[in-house]
Amino acid sequence: MNLLSYIVSRLLQMIPVVIGVSLVAFLAIHLVPGDPVQLMMHGRATPETLQAAHAKLGLDQPLLVQYWNFIRNAATGSLGTSIIQNADVGKIVGERLLPTVLLLVTSAVFAILIALPLSIIAARRSDQLADHVIRLLGIIGFAMPPFWVGIILMLFFGIYLDWFPISGYGRSFGDRMYHLVLPSLTIALFLAPILIQSLRAAILDVMTAEYITVARAKGLGPWRVLIKHALRNALMPVTTILAVNIGWLLSGAVVVEYLFSFPGLGSLLVRAVGQRDYPVIQGLSLVFAILVLFVNLLADLSYMLIDRRVLKA
Amino acid sequence: MTVRKSFESLGGWSRHALFASAFILTAFSLAAVSPEARAEGIKRGGTLIMARPDEPLTFDPFIPGDNGSIYAIEQVCDALVEADDSGRGLRPGIAESWEMSPDGLTYTFKIRDAKFSNGDPVTVDDVVFTLKTLSDPSKYLAFVLKPVKNITAVDDKHVKVELKEPYAPLLSALSAYAASIVNKKAYEASPEKFGTSPVCAGPFMVESYERGSTVILKANPYYWDKGADGKPLPYLDGVELKYVPESNSRVLGLRNGDYDMISTVAFNQAKALQSDSNLVVESTPIFRLDYVYLNHQKKPLDNKDFRLALNYAADREAILKAVYFGYGEVPNSYMPKVNFHSDTVPVIPFDLAKAKELVQKSGYDGTPIQIMVDTGNAPSRQVATILQQGWEAAGVKSEIVEMDVGTAWTMTTKGDYQAYVSYITSDINDTDELATIQADVTAGSQAFFTWYDNKDVQKMLTEARREPDPAKRAALYAKVQEIVYNDAYSIPLNFAPVINGSQAYVKDLKQLANGWWWLQKVWLDK
Repeated sequence: MNLLSYIVSRLLQMIPVVIGVSLVAFLAIHLVPGDPVQLMMHGRATPETLQAAHAKLGLDQPLLVQYWNFIRNAATGSLGTSIIQNADVGKIVGERLLPTVLLLVTSAVFAILIALPLSIIAARRSDQLADHVIRLLGIIGFAMPPFWVGIILMLFFGIYLDWFPISGYGRSFGDRMYHLVLPSLTIALFLAPILIQSLRAAILDVMTAEYITVARAKGLGPWRVLIKHALRNALMPVTTILAVNIGWLLSGAVVVEYLFSFPGLGSLLVRAVGQRDYPVIQGLSLVFAILVLFVNLLADLSYMLIDRRVLKA
Repeated sequence: MTVRKSFESLGGWSRHALFASAFILTAFSLAAVSPEARAEGIKRGGTLIMARPDEPLTFDPFIPGDNGSIYAIEQVCDALVEADDSGRGLRPGIAESWEMSPDGLTYTFKIRDAKFSNGDPVTVDDVVFTLKTLSDPSKYLAFVLKPVKNITAVDDKHVKVELKEPYAPLLSALSAYAASIVNKKAYEASPEKFGTSPVCAGPFMVESYERGSTVILKANPYYWDKGADGKPLPYLDGVELKYVPESNSRVLGLRNGDYDMISTVAFNQAKALQSDSNLVVESTPIFRLDYVYLNHQKKPLDNKDFRLALNYAADREAILKAVYFGYGEVPNSYMPKVNFHSDTVPVIPFDLAKAKELVQKSGYDGTPIQIMVDTGNAPSRQVATILQQGWEAAGVKSEIVEMDVGTAWTMTTKGDYQAYVSYITSDINDTDELATIQADVTAGSQAFFTWYDNKDVQKMLTEARREPDPAKRAALYAKVQEIVYNDAYSIPLNFAPVINGSQAYVKDLKQLANGWWWLQKVWLDK
């Protein structure tokens, strides 16, 4: 199959999935009791006010009509207007998209930077002391809640050493990267153990393959065999794990964004759900669905870069 | 300043207004309420960096009901009448002075020579536009101007507000955030744009507004009010309002020197923060009451003896110690301590024997009552647990149910609950707003979702609203307080204060009882 038609067909497959996700999200949030106007006014609204506000927002219409309006507008590129913020949802979500994407990318980079050397060492010294220590650390890292890890990182790197800012997002690009260090590290420490585990297993698995034996027979040193021949194949499952976990990572980002006062999509979602800001929730569910699907597509495409055989299959 | 003191000073002018017909209230009599500022030693300049748990969602004064927006709007916009620096009294704002007709049905406001942050003069057109917009029933705070019949410009300096019936709380209502005077031209051009870059006439103006993170305010160069040095306020060059929802993060940031001030320190963190000598930690009473809402429509809560029993079996001292770490005061009212609060109503004591007796008398059949708390709200959960133990000892069975706050609130407004651990705050410094909302079932929100229906109380509240004499109003509200509280309207828990922390060099910082902060006179001694 040619690469371009493959991408196009994958993109087309996304459409029903995105519609499905948006429908489920729409129904879920509307079926839970909640009235954005009542919530906003904390009960101050009189019945006339409520009625007038509901009519203005279109909340007095049947659910299916409301959903149809949402889909129709979304198809023309408009995600509607936030009930609470009285601003364009596309704009609100757009402002938050980049910080979250940056957070996820830097977290993934940190996680790989931590996981790669450790898993190589663990595989190289499998069932020896170094391996056991790394695996134990991995279990500990995975077991610690990100919320708590974040506070510990804040205390140590932010307050005690005073190396990194502990909250906010910064203004210039450099400043932003600087602000991203601790939140990314918090997510990375949670993600790295999963990567280490699979990478170690994959390396050990690959090491038994015949071509490795061949490489060894050629007289290559053990490190060279590992890095040059084994790692490339072992990286495949890591890409999968990162891609599969993207949805889960997004949800993990919520806690971290909250802790570090980070203006991303996660913190926006939590607030929007609490306030029943339906247009924002619907807009976000669309964006999340597209983000997850897109990352998975990228992962599949990256397999092709790592292993050309996938393209031929 | 104590409640009573500011009430007297407020009462003083109102009585005067009553006896002298068409008495013109000058700025001086109100200016005397606010404490004089010290001219010497005040340093101008600098930016105050403040971390708070909420963020503004919009600067459009007609939309919001959330504190994140309201407190920020208050820094940027002035209304005709403004809260004073304690939040308990009033002072002139965009209106330099005002007069009331002898029948109390017409108020005429003289508009001062003020300018908006874009340099436009504040005109009577802007004032009329603002108040008319707010009166539109689709605006959320429209009810505060419900008794208003007509709003007109008399000439280019005076605006007349005509009422359908005497309405004593009018001035307080006009001090609400939603009555902030907006620049008509800018608002009409685009309400959405106004939401992010408002054109108002308050001490500060919005320089940048990054949702989810930071609002940068800078001094409004055209602000009308003057500092102790005779030059325009504010003293600060600007304020950065940082949105830091996590309580630990705020405290750590203050300790680290990242913030000059943090608002809303968690009760369990305040004591530890106090031990740091570089910091000032202050607990201030505000117009807030934490209480358990009771739905009088649901059995067995329809029975007054049963509701009273729940009150007698509520160990409020224990709650104050365990949940609030001693911050606050056991309440003697069904509503927050606003201006006409009476201290003489005795607190219902913790008395299990009395509670048991009342449970017997009520004919309770042993069906458990459900007490609802917001998911993830640890203090509410703790309150519910302490209440549950007391009730169990008095022979009342109960179950705690957790709901996310949006669901819990909506179930409450629909009457689909029995008891709900929550709170209420007042937007304005007049008892009328909450007394009416909470205790008058005909006012539109079902006596704040209790369905408490007492005709005598409704009559007294209507009377109090129309009564211009503050002493008579005070007597009526005290009576209402006593009746409603002893009807076991709810289970009041705590007059919960707010605790702020700041660096020692932050001077003249004041927490207003309405919830926001008096930043226009803050200066940095560094």
